[in-house]
Amino acid sequence: MEPDHRDHRCHRPSAFDKMEGLVREMQDTEHGGVPVRSQKLFLTSIPAAFMGYDLIEWLMERLGIEESEALNLANQLCQYGYFFPVSDSKNLVVKDDSSLYRFQSPYYWPWQNRPPDNVEYAIYLAKRTLRNKQRHGLEDYELEALSNLRKNLANKWDFITMQAEEQVKLSKVLKKGDKIISDSQERAYWRVHRPPPGMVTSLEQCPVPTRSWNGSRTRKRTIEDCRRDVELLKNSLSRTRVKVSQALEGMVQHVETYAEYDPLITPTQPSNPWVSEDTTYWQLNSALVEIPTEKRVRRWALSMEELVSDPTGLQEFTNYLRKEYSHENIRFWMAVNDLRRSAQSQIQRKVNEIFEEFLAPGAPCEINIDGKTMEKVHQEMKAPSRFTFDAAQEHVYTLLLKKDCYPRFIRSEYYKNLLATGIQPSQKKRFFGFGQTKKKTSTSSAPNQQLLQQQPSQGATVTCGALSKRRGSDRSLSGSAHELAVSGVKDSKVPHSHSQSNLSDIPYRVKKPSIAIVAGASTSEEVCPWESGNEPRSRKNSAQLDSGSSSSDISVAVAEVSERVQRVCTLTQQHTVDGSRKLSTSTMDPPRRASVSVPITHSTTTGDSSKRKVSSFEDNSSAATSTSSSVFVIPSDTDNKAEECTSTSKTVVKNHGLAKACSVTGANAPIISVSSVADDLPVDSKVEEEAEATCSQQEPLAPLAEPDSESPASELPPSEPITEVEVDTEAKSNDVCPWEDDNPVQAKTCSITASAQRTLNPP
Amino acid sequence: MNELDSLRQEAETLKNAIRDARKAACDTSLVQATASLEPIGRVQMRTRRTLRGHLAKIYAMHWGSDSRNLVSASQDGKLIVWDSHTTNKVHAIPLRSSWVMTCAYAPSGSYVACGGLDNICSIYSLKTREGNVRVSRELPGHTGYLSCCRFLDDNQIVTSSGDMSCALWDIETGQQVTSFLGHTGDVMSLSLSPDMRTFVSGACDASAKLWDIREGLCKQTFPGHESDINAVTFFPNGYAFATGSDDATCRLFDIRADQELAMYSHDNIICGITSVAFSKSGRLLLAGYDDFNCNVWDSMKTERAGILAGHDNRVSCLGVTENGMAVGTGSWDSFLRIWN
Repeated sequence: MEPDHRDHRCHRPSAFDKMEGLVREMQDTEHGGVPVRSQKLFLTSIPAAFMGYDLIEWLMERLGIEESEALNLANQLCQYGYFFPVSDSKNLVVKDDSSLYRFQSPYYWPWQNRPPDNVEYAIYLAKRTLRNKQRHGLEDYELEALSNLRKNLANKWDFITMQAEEQVKLSKVLKKGDKIISDSQERAYWRVHRPPPGMVTSLEQCPVPTRSWNGSRTRKRTIEDCRRDVELLKNSLSRTRVKVSQALEGMVQHVETYAEYDPLITPTQPSNPWVSEDTTYWQLNSALVEIPTEKRVRRWALSMEELVSDPTGLQEFTNYLRKEYSHENIRFWMAVNDLRRSAQSQIQRKVNEIFEEFLAPGAPCEINIDGKTMEKVHQEMKAPSRFTFDAAQEHVYTLLLKKDCYPRFIRSEYYKNLLATGIQPSQKKRFFGFGQTKKKTSTSSAPNQQLLQQQPSQGATVTCGALSKRRGSDRSLSGSAHELAVSGVKDSKVPHSHSQSNLSDIPYRVKKPSIAIVAGASTSEEVCPWESGNEPRSRKNSAQLDSGSSSSDISVAVAEVSERVQRVCTLTQQHTVDGSRKLSTSTMDPPRRASVSVPITHSTTTGDSSKRKVSSFEDNSSAATSTSSSVFVIPSDTDNKAEECTSTSKTVVKNHGLAKACSVTGANAPIISVSSVADDLPVDSKVEEEAEATCSQQEPLAPLAEPDSESPASELPPSEPITEVEVDTEAKSNDVCPWEDDNPVQAKTCSITASAQRTLNPP
Repeated sequence: MNELDSLRQEAETLKNAIRDARKAACDTSLVQATASLEPIGRVQMRTRRTLRGHLAKIYAMHWGSDSRNLVSASQDGKLIVWDSHTTNKVHAIPLRSSWVMTCAYAPSGSYVACGGLDNICSIYSLKTREGNVRVSRELPGHTGYLSCCRFLDDNQIVTSSGDMSCALWDIETGQQVTSFLGHTGDVMSLSLSPDMRTFVSGACDASAKLWDIREGLCKQTFPGHESDINAVTFFPNGYAFATGSDDATCRLFDIRADQELAMYSHDNIICGITSVAFSKSGRLLLAGYDDFNCNVWDSMKTERAGILAGHDNRVSCLGVTENGMAVGTGSWDSFLRIWN
């Protein structure tokens, strides 16, 4: 082996190389180091010293850092003993003033030699006792140390005093200035290595005697070791390496997807318990909860791992599979997990139990694995261990659960319902102080940023407002983890630049999607039992949309409306992974009032980036459809005509007026609150998906939207001009009706969510 | 030429071949790949709690899986389990050896483990029938100090040691199940992968190694650092990990690409790193330094995004809660701080 230059001294961290490099630069006065000279202090002249602020300035300039950091760095170096205060032998502190400091001689730098031993310390102390009491007198703690040393080193004491005398003699030869410097340096050295009691020393190492470096301390490497190394290296050489670009892509994608779920980046809802002292967050997010938060449910769609690593997620997943009569797989998976974590003594028993229950021919919950895996299991069964079923588990996990059950779960009504009923902490908070009146958009409690960001972006993409004004929504889009997740599921590439044009790449966009929101009439298998009739919850989810700006511009109005619709949808949050989804929300009181069932068809077509997105909606609400329910259809089509659109929008606007949604700022747009549920929502474009999917459940009484007074800032500027909008003319008149009818009602209902949303919109 | 020499020579050629293979896979840089990423801006975190109670240097801390309790080990010979929100001490456990260097909280919350210069990993049961805390198992077997330990579950724990090995233990029987040999320096730190099937270790031989827990074999070796690796932590997706070293740099290694992706360093950072942890998303890399500070790195841009200043001595340990809500730091100044 090559001789290790570290062998003769103890291993030192290589950070000290960097420190020494810096200190050498400081001392290099010829090339702009720290100015060192004799400093006059009153009548005495102090040789070879520099001032604190010179040092700080030098550091700031050299490293381009702020003063506080430079000060910290200077103190650090001082603590390590690279320089020391001239007039203070106790405290190793650097101040940014005219106080004086002196560089330590490299001989005394840390790690230049092995740490000093007690004999050297004794010599040093003894030497000082031999010298001028006034200048070299010992401190109390040093006296104590000296007497201890004299006791402990009694057999060497003659040698020590001899050495001390010798050194005193030598030092007498020196010039006065040099003597002062070398004395002070020696003293500073011992200040670092034998600090006064209670003082911090940076040089103190871990209590570990020595760390061994590169085997310097070690047993000899045997031939076996070398053989093993070579074997490992061979394996290592033959392994396949993913390209760095690919690895990085995965990493970037992960970071972007999870930014929303990273509390250090995105503030949490309802509040951070560390800041607010309010522990609601923990209550809402404990391991097993009855109703998970919406955000948490959304995270389950990111990956199977996210789902099963969350106890509540695993429980819901199991419940879902149980309903489908296919939960033997997940049960097997859990059983094997449990086995892996079991105590050794129980392994044998558990292995047998699992085998009997899931794998034996004719087992009660036989799982379906291929012959090869089965063979492996049988082989492993001969010597049962906690890993016996690993192969089978892997098979079940990747082939059955991950590829089949999980996507079905995420697409299912069951999941959608979870999402729809998920708690939205920020909204909950708002619920209390919120009357139906116009709420101020004060966001005292931090609004859910994610939501805020997301909304506008969706609005931007979906709506094609006529205005050329655009919100910079790209960013928010990127923030939408949901989109990423969705696309992830679909195996589509996630676009990294989140420009709208990318949206066009999103798969499974249906050209003619329609969201039908059916009024309470929708009965449904899909409705979760516990969900129906749950009044408070539905209220929470009800969305209220804020009104946009003055409606003189029709297209704006249209845009607003459509956006609003979107938003409503979004608020209710159905995020589904899949194109076709069914939503069902139940209203509590279907018969009572007319609820609006709104089949909304949005399609956003973004052909090319050059092509604008068109979102049009068609209002198809026919009051006539049913007394109790009205349908509101907003289809979007590329081929629509602008005029029609205008007419619709006009009516819409009118309605708003009727709805008396005027706020100070301008006409408010109506909020569409749909009290019912959509039975069958084929969803189309992915963009909308996020938004669309839902029906907002509201109290049945207020099917329509409520106007809100909003600050103008909250208006959503439509992102793109509408190219063409086709409106169902016939439907038009109908549309109006429901709103008008309900106006009074509407006014009454306030939807909490919407307000929350509103605040979110960036000006 | 004897066999030993020929083996050495073969190893050397293999190393060179591997270096070339890595270079071949390196078709881009982190900076290029993340150019389109939004900058994160300045991350400002404040001390939300200061946990006072230890009387000497704190050497280790570890969050419980509830993201609220944490255990800390100090050279005053105490292990303290804290409720970090109320700052109450849930348990204060006197140790047999005060030279403790590491501690760990079991995922179930039922056990804590610690160890140090006594070369023993001691398991304490927090939930005994009698209600007191007691030693439930001692795991002797390492021939060097215990530098790090992490529970796989209530029955298994992985330890790393100054005897250059890591080990998997069955707690119930007290037996060393697997020994992970291969490092040529003291192993200082280990981090379990999210799926608990592998772990990485960092050692004083300046390399990090990836181990398969079940097989007990080293799967990959990652050279790159110039000095001791003091800390390792997995990237949340389990395909990468970060290291902190005495050479004053943190580095990011990718497992699938089998190489170093990034280095986090700065001219004015000239001290060793004691501990590292990722935020929940992996975007932030937090590192504790010998200069009393913690730096927050934007892991994707390799830029410094913030600094946690407040301790009056070396930051010896650091951890992010499982839910990512808070950062805990422990220092030789005998205090723990909670930040977010």
